[in-house]
Amino acid sequence: MTSASSSDKDLLIADLRHRLAEAEETLRAIRENEVDALVMRGPVAEEIFTIGGDPESYRTFMEAMEPGAAALDGFGRVLYANSTLTKLLGTSLAQLQGKLFVDAFAGDTGKEIGRLLGEAHTTRQSREVRFPRGDEVDLHFIAMASPLQFGTTSGHAITFADVTERVLNEGAEQSEHAARAVIASANEAVLVCDRDGVITHANAAASIVYEGNPIGQIFAEIIPLLLRDSTGVLQADDMIAMVIAGTPMRGIEASAPKAPEVKDYLVSAAPLRIAGDRISGAVVTMVDLSQRKAAEKQQNLLMRELDHRVKNTLALVASISARTASSTDTVQAFQKAFSGRIQALAATHTLLLGNSWSSLELRDIVMSELAPYIDSTADQVAIEGLNVAVTPRAAIAFGLIVHELATNAIKYGALSQQGGHVTVCAVGRDNEKSGAFVLEWRESGGPRVTPPKRKGFGHTVISRSLQYSAGGRAEFDFDPSGVVCRISIPAKDLS
Amino acid sequence: MTPAKPPRKLILYVAGQTPKSLAAIANLERICAEDLPGQYAVEVIDLKKDPKLAREHSIVAIPTLVRELPVPLRKLIGDLSDTHKVLMNLQLSDGT
Repeated sequence: MTSASSSDKDLLIADLRHRLAEAEETLRAIRENEVDALVMRGPVAEEIFTIGGDPESYRTFMEAMEPGAAALDGFGRVLYANSTLTKLLGTSLAQLQGKLFVDAFAGDTGKEIGRLLGEAHTTRQSREVRFPRGDEVDLHFIAMASPLQFGTTSGHAITFADVTERVLNEGAEQSEHAARAVIASANEAVLVCDRDGVITHANAAASIVYEGNPIGQIFAEIIPLLLRDSTGVLQADDMIAMVIAGTPMRGIEASAPKAPEVKDYLVSAAPLRIAGDRISGAVVTMVDLSQRKAAEKQQNLLMRELDHRVKNTLALVASISARTASSTDTVQAFQKAFSGRIQALAATHTLLLGNSWSSLELRDIVMSELAPYIDSTADQVAIEGLNVAVTPRAAIAFGLIVHELATNAIKYGALSQQGGHVTVCAVGRDNEKSGAFVLEWRESGGPRVTPPKRKGFGHTVISRSLQYSAGGRAEFDFDPSGVVCRISIPAKDLS
Repeated sequence: MTPAKPPRKLILYVAGQTPKSLAAIANLERICAEDLPGQYAVEVIDLKKDPKLAREHSIVAIPTLVRELPVPLRKLIGDLSDTHKVLMNLQLSDGT
């Protein structure tokens, strides 16, 4: 009996200890905010008391809000989400509750919201987030997170304000600005017409085709076009009508008779599609072709000039060949003489090319022709007063003459021995006759000169080369002390 | 013949959708799925709907998790966010 009562007492003490431990644990949990509701024993039955207020109050408030809204605990789990947000996320409150909020969003949007919640630890923070929707237009929101206390739980309230329309409008506005900038930056005249052919946009370059303000005016009336290679049936208004009907036109040459300066243009026109497939008007670009046309004209002139020169040169070469052949006895002699003359011709051509075939100074021609035979620094040759420019025609003839004189001087004349000299100097203008420029090739210090018994090709070249014009000539004086050749350049070949 | 598995039962007492109640439900689901798969039958009792059910296990603070079986009965108060503490109370010292 005693042992039984002792056992009961032990059990009682154990039970009391257990209850005490349980009570202490309950107090600790309440003190450390681990609970947010208590069971109170009322006079009739138990009642539930929620610490920090009934969550229904803030839920009612969130449900009444227009933006999507959610309440999250300190771990980012969903306590509540209003119907706007659950609808937006295509889910239900039951599926969201207790789950991590960021997991309800795809990819980068979830990461963005995670970063936002991290930043909103102590103060309200916001950032723009995007909800991708596949083929449909993405939705844009301003997400705002604020730290909030729900009863004994610290967490966040987060709202989503729809700014999709504003973002799309901004995008459209930027596109419009970009389009305007592109048109404004174009070097070509760009004019945009509506479906009635009325000009709605024009860039600064469009002033080359119309002086005034073209906006609001009918394209075909202010900028009539004469389309090249057309019978006149196709006019500017027909072109615009065709384009608005969907047929683009590319690279049509036309002239604009009413333009401030009548010019040729390369005209292109394309249908304007702003949204979808509907054609809203036409975009016309006009490129000024005047420079290209001028270049083509210059090219044609050059081609004809080149043809003329090549023919002249070929005739000259043929003549030199025939004459050289008739005045030489062996193939070797022919080869040497012919090659020397062709090189003389080439030297003048090279000088002319370097001067764009405009003109050459006589001094340069003399130097060039003598270069193969003597050192230019040698004191055997003196050139005086020959800074006179002549036309290409006279330059070629004079070059051949100097070549023949130099060859003779090297072979038989003053340059064939030490102490010989050649002086090439200006004599002056032949005022009495044609006004030709006269210069003299004078040799001295060479072997004694005797007049040749027969005239070779060299002599013929010298005598005839400048006779293409009145006043042009070359005359020999076989002075025993040295050859003298007086050369007259026709006045009209002086430039 | 394999011996029958001893019955195991957990009861989680919550109060509607208070933050701690929701957290406790989410944490218990996670712990059961990750650490105790198939080991416990779980019952969630919402005392907001029927407060008198608190009497059976003398529940005072919410949320409270009760391990009803196997005996001895154990109670754990709070939102169960400390997984280690939960496992200590559910698994250790009774050989499971």
